[in-house]
Amino acid sequence: MNLDRNAIKAAVRAKVIELAKNLGMDASDIGDDDIIPATGYIDSGAILELVVWYEDAYQMPLKQEEINIDNLGSINSMADFVLKRKG
Amino acid sequence: MAFALHAPRVNNNDDIVQVIAFRVAVGDFVKQGDIVLDVETDKAIVEVAAENAGYVLKLMCAVDDKVAVGSVLLWQGETIDEPVPETAVVAAATGGGNARPTAKARALLKELGLDAGVVPAFGDRLSLADVETYIAAHGIQRRDHIPAVTVSARESVPDVAGELVDLNAEERGMLITVSWHRDHAAATYLEVEYDPKAWEDHAAAYASANKLMLSPLLPLLAYRYVQLAKANPRVNATVVNGKRFQYQPVNLGFTVQAGETLYLTVVRDADALETQPFIEALGEVQRHAIQRKLNREETSGATLAFSSMARWNVSRHIPILPPYCSLMIAHAAPKGSGRAVLGASYDHRVLSGFDVARLLVELAKPPG
Repeated sequence: MNLDRNAIKAAVRAKVIELAKNLGMDASDIGDDDIIPATGYIDSGAILELVVWYEDAYQMPLKQEEINIDNLGSINSMADFVLKRKG
Repeated sequence: MAFALHAPRVNNNDDIVQVIAFRVAVGDFVKQGDIVLDVETDKAIVEVAAENAGYVLKLMCAVDDKVAVGSVLLWQGETIDEPVPETAVVAAATGGGNARPTAKARALLKELGLDAGVVPAFGDRLSLADVETYIAAHGIQRRDHIPAVTVSARESVPDVAGELVDLNAEERGMLITVSWHRDHAAATYLEVEYDPKAWEDHAAAYASANKLMLSPLLPLLAYRYVQLAKANPRVNATVVNGKRFQYQPVNLGFTVQAGETLYLTVVRDADALETQPFIEALGEVQRHAIQRKLNREETSGATLAFSSMARWNVSRHIPILPPYCSLMIAHAAPKGSGRAVLGASYDHRVLSGFDVARLLVELAKPPG
């Protein structure tokens, strides 16, 4: 598990691109601050898969109420949240 | 329907066996051939294996009990919620398994295809009363009470090269579900089209107000469905042995496609939840499905169900009714069509087309 901020961002970006590709979408130009659900690249089912991957990749079980735009809404947010939780 | 495991005849001279140990508990799922308990006679300790796969529903005796050969040791079911027939454990009989049957007893034994040796006699001869006591204790039905249910005959393999492969647990669950739909429900289907804009606007506003990552459209639809079922209890019922079984809670089944596997996840007591707790509870079981970490409570006990294939741009799908559910609603919303569809498979033994159409028309409108 690499907790370097850039490494986390790269991993999240790669996962979003992979999930989008499965839906026939090209998310390669997604910005670090773009709100992931609002981009339309991935649907709710894929966002769930992203969350499950994220929990597993960073050994970080999430409470349902933590799954929100503030914590996980963008690539930057997801990186910040891991670093905050992992201290 | 629940099925019984009977105390085996270990040898011809012993009409009684003593229960030594149970290796399963109520709620366990056992496969055919799994050892479920040990019994003892004067001559041997014998492992008793499950004759069929299924959940253990009820243990009919306890360790150290002495029970008659042929008694029901435990009940199993294809689902964990199946009702168990009212039976009594047959106490150890005084007569031997070889007591000569009377003429009337012999006639009933022949009618039911029973071996006189498995029926305990409570006197010098095996009487009609003895046989009737035995069949009552074992839930055996006389021919005139057997419902006209088609029993599938053993099939031949197709005349094409191939191999038989055992089903995994999920595949077996699907087979059980489909078989219940085919064999028990009087399943039929209807649908209503509606303009999805009102629901889309409602969901978008809710998501924005609550900063949700996931679109709440389907959870909010499902929640509205639960509320409508609460207000119309007839839709939250099934039929058991010719009577309507009115459920008390509304346990919502919600399909989740996790990779190659389709799960019916269950949010129990959904009618007792407010909107946001329901959405969170549904989100949690969906995550558990994707993680392959669903527990038994999350995969059983659905009283009605909901499914959506909007993700795959499907314009219509006619769902299979889960066991003991009388209504399953299928949502579809073909992209770019400007319309959405609420379809419903329903059990006509419980619901009429009017019941279902009325509910779907209400469901097509968001609350307020």
